[in-house]
Amino acid sequence: MLINRRKMLQGMAAAAVATPLLPSLVQAATGKGKPKRIIFFLQNQGFDPKTCIPAGMTNSGSLAKAKLPEPIEALEPYKERLHIINGLHGMHTSPSHSAFFGALGGYRGSDGVPPSGPTIDYELSRVLPETLLPHLCIGMDSTENMTTKPTVANLSASGAGQPIFMHSNPNHLYQMLYGGISQGEIRKQHEARSSMFDRIEQLAAIKGGALHGVNKQRYGQYVQGFNDINGLRERLGKVAGHLRKFAPKVDERYTKPEFETDWHDVLLDLGISALKSGITSVLTIGSGRGEIFGAWKGLGVEQQGHNLGHIKQPNNPIWIKIRQYNSRMLVKLMQELDSVPEGSGTMMDNTLIVYTSNNADYQHTSGKNWPVMLLGNYDGAFKTGCFTQLDGKRPINALYTSILRASGVEVDRFNMSEKMAARFDSSTGPLKEVLA
Amino acid sequence: MNKLTLTLGVAVFAVLGTAAQAADIYTPGEPFRGDFKNFARVFLKTHCFDCHDNDTTKGDLSLEDLGPVDETSAAVWKSIWAQVTLQEMPPKKKSQPDIIDRLRFSDWIVRELQRVMKDKGGFHAHLDPKKGNYVAHDLLFGPLPKGIRLAPTSSPARIWRLTPQEHITRLNELINTEPQYDPLKPGLRTRGDVVPTNHGGELKLYFGTDRIIRWEGGTVAYATAVKSVPVVLSSARKHGLENYPDFYTVNSSEATQILGKAEDILRYMAYGPLSLANPEQITDDPKTYDKVKPSGDLRGLPIAIVYSTKIARPMTPIHDLMKEPGVTNERLRTAVNFLFEELTFRPPTTEESNDYLQIVKDSIDKVGKEKGVFMGLSAVSLDRDALFRPELVESGRPDQHGRVMLQDWELGLAVNHALSYIKPDEQLRKVIVEGRMRTRKDVEREVTRMLADDSIRKPRVLRFFRDFFDYDLGGYICKDAKALGETGVSTRGTSHYRAMFDATASTDRLIELIVQKDKDVLKELLTTQQIVATRNDNTYFGRKNSPEERKAALAVKRKADAEQAKKDAAEVEALEKEVAQLEAMLKAEPKNNRTKKSLNHKTKSLTALKKRIANGKKRRRDNTNVNVTSANLAGPKIHARVSRRSFGNGSMNPNRILATAPKGQRMGILTHPSWLVSHSDAMDNHAILRGRWIREKLLGGGIPDVPITVDAMLPDEPQNTLRERMRVTKKTYCWTCHRKMDPLGLPFEMYNHAGLYRKTELNKPVDTTGEIIDSGDPALDGKVANAIEMIERLAESKKPEQVFVRYAFRFWMGRNETLNDAPVLQDAYHAYRNNGGSIKSLLISLVTSDAFLYRKAERGAK
Repeated sequence: MLINRRKMLQGMAAAAVATPLLPSLVQAATGKGKPKRIIFFLQNQGFDPKTCIPAGMTNSGSLAKAKLPEPIEALEPYKERLHIINGLHGMHTSPSHSAFFGALGGYRGSDGVPPSGPTIDYELSRVLPETLLPHLCIGMDSTENMTTKPTVANLSASGAGQPIFMHSNPNHLYQMLYGGISQGEIRKQHEARSSMFDRIEQLAAIKGGALHGVNKQRYGQYVQGFNDINGLRERLGKVAGHLRKFAPKVDERYTKPEFETDWHDVLLDLGISALKSGITSVLTIGSGRGEIFGAWKGLGVEQQGHNLGHIKQPNNPIWIKIRQYNSRMLVKLMQELDSVPEGSGTMMDNTLIVYTSNNADYQHTSGKNWPVMLLGNYDGAFKTGCFTQLDGKRPINALYTSILRASGVEVDRFNMSEKMAARFDSSTGPLKEVLA
Repeated sequence: MNKLTLTLGVAVFAVLGTAAQAADIYTPGEPFRGDFKNFARVFLKTHCFDCHDNDTTKGDLSLEDLGPVDETSAAVWKSIWAQVTLQEMPPKKKSQPDIIDRLRFSDWIVRELQRVMKDKGGFHAHLDPKKGNYVAHDLLFGPLPKGIRLAPTSSPARIWRLTPQEHITRLNELINTEPQYDPLKPGLRTRGDVVPTNHGGELKLYFGTDRIIRWEGGTVAYATAVKSVPVVLSSARKHGLENYPDFYTVNSSEATQILGKAEDILRYMAYGPLSLANPEQITDDPKTYDKVKPSGDLRGLPIAIVYSTKIARPMTPIHDLMKEPGVTNERLRTAVNFLFEELTFRPPTTEESNDYLQIVKDSIDKVGKEKGVFMGLSAVSLDRDALFRPELVESGRPDQHGRVMLQDWELGLAVNHALSYIKPDEQLRKVIVEGRMRTRKDVEREVTRMLADDSIRKPRVLRFFRDFFDYDLGGYICKDAKALGETGVSTRGTSHYRAMFDATASTDRLIELIVQKDKDVLKELLTTQQIVATRNDNTYFGRKNSPEERKAALAVKRKADAEQAKKDAAEVEALEKEVAQLEAMLKAEPKNNRTKKSLNHKTKSLTALKKRIANGKKRRRDNTNVNVTSANLAGPKIHARVSRRSFGNGSMNPNRILATAPKGQRMGILTHPSWLVSHSDAMDNHAILRGRWIREKLLGGGIPDVPITVDAMLPDEPQNTLRERMRVTKKTYCWTCHRKMDPLGLPFEMYNHAGLYRKTELNKPVDTTGEIIDSGDPALDGKVANAIEMIERLAESKKPEQVFVRYAFRFWMGRNETLNDAPVLQDAYHAYRNNGGSIKSLLISLVTSDAFLYRKAERGAK
């Protein structure tokens, strides 16, 4: 989804903004620390803590001497960048059958409930250094769902009642990002769509000619919207030479996927390329797209859909495979970002990966426990190489507050009014236990 | 007369006119020559400094050093504007400024704020629907003081963005055939009704749900498997009127989504469920699909759905275009013109038609017919007139006041929009095309016709009542589980929220019934004893048991359970005895077939009996609520308008009954759980919000904004009642505004925050007293014992009717009223009153008024 941050903000400012249900974010980026990007990876159906906490570890401590459990053993060489956090809660998000927008929003979610405010990934896209396409969301699902519903919105939102769509068709996404340097069928579509958009902008502008004053202003915002969409394409076109270095190769997996995981893999490639090329600074990955279904037949997992959530995860071969697949993706993310120099180190030094589930610890959960894994120290903000056991009294919002603080935003709460906090948060401000 | 003389003459007249104006006559909206030094400061000095100078800083405010309006002083000036315009200041006991001075001062501040804020987002507060009451009621409905001369009114020329509901309903017409109106079942959803929200309160466009004959899974699986598109256009809505043209546009994110979804819609128009599913899934016999469907758990997947073969959606030129191989210019143009009219409600001009035809052709050239048609046609969904409705009167001649009357398509669509969400019907379209949509009489004729015909659905009227009462918000108010449990309603899963969405549909229907009778509509709405009810409403309209009542109910239940258990045990014992006897008999004669048969029969009976007993136990446990005395509602069957299945089990159900409220417990819509819960919060009632509603919607009062320095929170004291916790608003600083709200909201404490009637709160008798203060009608003012008495008194008074007319004006004109609209308001009120409280007459009056028919381009625009 082509989201232009600045214009969207302006567009929304001119529209009467609802009295926020949740306290609004003070956009006070003080420039403290220089983190540049963040990745949210949400695996649906729950994240059982036994699949990530080393056996026998019950108290906070270093991971140096611990052995990571089988589902995440791919992360063993990266242990010193890993921070496993157990004991946050999300009871206020109604996560029983997925908290949907509530997972990244820290408010009540659940099936059919529209988002009641912006989610953390969107808010971060507004405060991290500006990029061409600040926030990119990709969704991984069963083949049938990805083809019939190439975009769904279940996890991210830019405001109350304003969901953000995840891309699931890698062909469409490739066209959007790299249309300017594409070839063949994709290029033809890109050109057709581009010229149509240009024409729409022209027609829209003509119809604005007769307007005056406030009407002209309001309609002007609408026309400006096209300008932005076309502008994004132009700007991407201008850096085509630069993008060429990062654009993935379009192979048969795009056009003739054998399994859904083929598309999962290339979607990840596209996400990584958007990060590496600097097009985007916030990547949200919805494995299972925030719902309680999904399929991973490409891993040899025959079971699919809702039943996966009814399988106990520890020591279960199906969930070991899925979690290992996730871990391989996390490793790929880190390796790729490590390969690009940035500042005095690499891109990964200024990146944070947040891995969790939109369904807390398992399906039908009350949300009492919400395990999270962090990878990377976000330019030195977070402790790494350790396990932190919290007391279950601080909500996931507190983690998001911590990330905002580390991004330079001086806030004590995220999407939680004092009234709600009285019931759902034992403290205020960021999680001191996890910050460096 | 030569040109020079004419010019001079006009110039002289203008000078004279201005002079006369500046001296004496006040015409609302006319610019006024006065600046800070010679006017505003004089006003402040004369009327404010007594209490608000550096020596006497009443309320901690000194205005002595206040300078002209600029960025830093804007906030103070805005407060001054609010206080002075609302006639809060100077206080009643002090000498008051002359009315015209006050009006001029208010105008001056607004103009200055507009000037100062022009490049900083502009100043729109006076246009905010929440501030419509800032225009004094008595000046609108009473005699005008000398020195005020009204100008003939009009509304500004504008483009008016569609509401999300209008947009979805418009798109829905393309892919779903809604049932025709059935006069025998008038409550069922019909073509022309707004698309209802789904089981979760979401507004979505559904694809193909009218053809689904089988799916897999119970609940969420259905919702996930079907294709639906959420509404794209945004609206900011907490409470009140939400749809003024001034506030909305479409941003780039929305535009992109609209374009994307347009292709899905077009594909469905062409191919139906084939655009969603494999051909094998389209069959009238699901068993044929079973033979070929993939194995494994299909729940939640689109391949789990079976569609019938019967075509349900409208067959359109899009379908024809894609059915025939290849493309011809003619078929392309037909498709373009058809789509254009469906989306903009009017036929395209030749230029528009050519433009879009070219886009489609270009796309086809680049990517072929299959992709090109859908890509190219989707562009039409972003045409200005597909998202906005113009009222620009570009080709009209202004009258001597600079006003132009809407004509032809602009007028016809404005009239259509006053009542409908779908395109003009045949008759209306005909008269527009034939040039008979040009005069006031034309409008009266069509509106009268449409109002008289129930098969022409008028969702806009229902929308007005939703915006006026705000009873449709209950399902979106998150309730704390413990606090909700204490009200007596079920806290299982989402049952409360479902009940609230059901209640919205029920209240819609009740309002429809009252509007249909069209007699004393407002009074009826406020005092009706009728309820449109579901089974759940036996609880919601019930009475919360006091602790003693609960004890008694529990005792009754236990006794009943014990007696039933005894009966069950006796039955089981008797049957077991028979079985034992038969078994013995069979042992004696193993070959006796009759015995065998009897034994089988009795064994089966025994199993069935045990099952029945277990189910009965469960049912009694689930259905007996000792916390609530059921309302025991009964009455004839009736329907409410709900969405098609959007969820597995537990989707929206249209069945209702038309019942009567338990005696003495309710009084009209303001005492229905739908309204009460919509004005509550997670933990309790929101008496301040309710009081504000009464003050603004029935008494025409205005409340200034909460000062930003105020942390408006009640103390968290679960052991105290809401009334006790609200003691903090009695502080002097707070009470000036809260006295206008709290005493009007506290009488509703006779209900808990789920809307159940109660006599006790925290184990003490509940205090439901309140007071009507400063209503402007001495017959209204005075103490009230509870909400019922308060509402009854309000329903008898003229003032609420007049205020109601003001809100209707705002809704249908899409703007706040000004003094110049006084004649329109008075005519509308008389039309309502003199026809027995008829909303139809009110509507006809409004829609044939100058404010509705005339437009004025912005000053200095041309």
